[in-house]
Amino acid sequence: MPDGSAREFTFYMEAKSIVTRPSGGQKLNAPGFHEISGIAWSGRGKVRRVDVSVDDGKSWQQAQLQEPVLTRALTRFRLPWHWDGQSAVIQSRAIDETGYVQPTLAELLAVRGENYFYHNNAIWPWRIAADGEVTNANA
Amino acid sequence: MRTRELHIAMLAAVALACATSAQAQSPYGIGRPATPAEIAGWNIDIDREGHNLPPGSGTVSHGHEVFDQQCAACHGAKGEGGVGDRLVGGQATLATPNPIRTVGSYWPNASTLFDYIRRAMPQNAPQSLSNDDVYAVSAYVLNLNGLLPADAALDASTLRAVKMPNRGMFVGDTRPDVKNPACMTGC
Repeated sequence: MPDGSAREFTFYMEAKSIVTRPSGGQKLNAPGFHEISGIAWSGRGKVRRVDVSVDDGKSWQQAQLQEPVLTRALTRFRLPWHWDGQSAVIQSRAIDETGYVQPTLAELLAVRGENYFYHNNAIWPWRIAADGEVTNANA
Repeated sequence: MRTRELHIAMLAAVALACATSAQAQSPYGIGRPATPAEIAGWNIDIDREGHNLPPGSGTVSHGHEVFDQQCAACHGAKGEGGVGDRLVGGQATLATPNPIRTVGSYWPNASTLFDYIRRAMPQNAPQSLSNDDVYAVSAYVLNLNGLLPADAALDASTLRAVKMPNRGMFVGDTRPDVKNPACMTGC
């Protein structure tokens, strides 16, 4: 941690999610309908909700969860999306049954500093270029 | 930390061994109970207080010899690191942007040193050192970090008595440590 202290080993992974389609290395072949899909999970119980943003985090909409939603299990989410062919940043945010909200990378860094690397459950944004190429938006 | 992950893997293995012996008459008709000797071979974990440290002892000077032969190729002649992790120095760097985590600067318990060296080192032949040699190398690594005098010897009770400088800097799990407001619009 920034003050020189260190956390003892723990197992719990808090709520996390990631968009798996479209995701890094993939390419959208044309503007139009694309279903955004990904997985969410939490070490502290069931996934209650997943929000998806397609405008670089300015606004979020609730995704649909695929049943069954089981405790500490990968939960598939999906959101229909019309890609207008402009560059975009898409990302997902999981909320679990404890009410915990998956944090941004900036929020994690502010608390844990840059030398903490366990339990990284930060929101992971993908950048979609105008040609459809999908890359890591944090890079 | 790698040490702890290894610890857990070994505990799991021991638990499995115990489960096997509890199910002597397995409905699947396979396996047999592990013998006490077999379990003893796996049951080598040492906790932070140093319970279960075996008999034996070793001096800093003998540890120096063993280190030169078995460890220096990867960890450097003075534990400065190389292919293997750096073992020495780094004190007062943990609160800086580039913390150097070594045995001396970071590890909270000296007993872990014995456990880890015995269990995993040298990497090309783990568990090949005698307990005396492990005590000796542990003593030498502590000496390189200024935590034992050059004429010291280490055994179970003296190893338990070593106070690691970073001992008090480990904290429990403080999560949840972030609060994302889950803004929906105009974020």
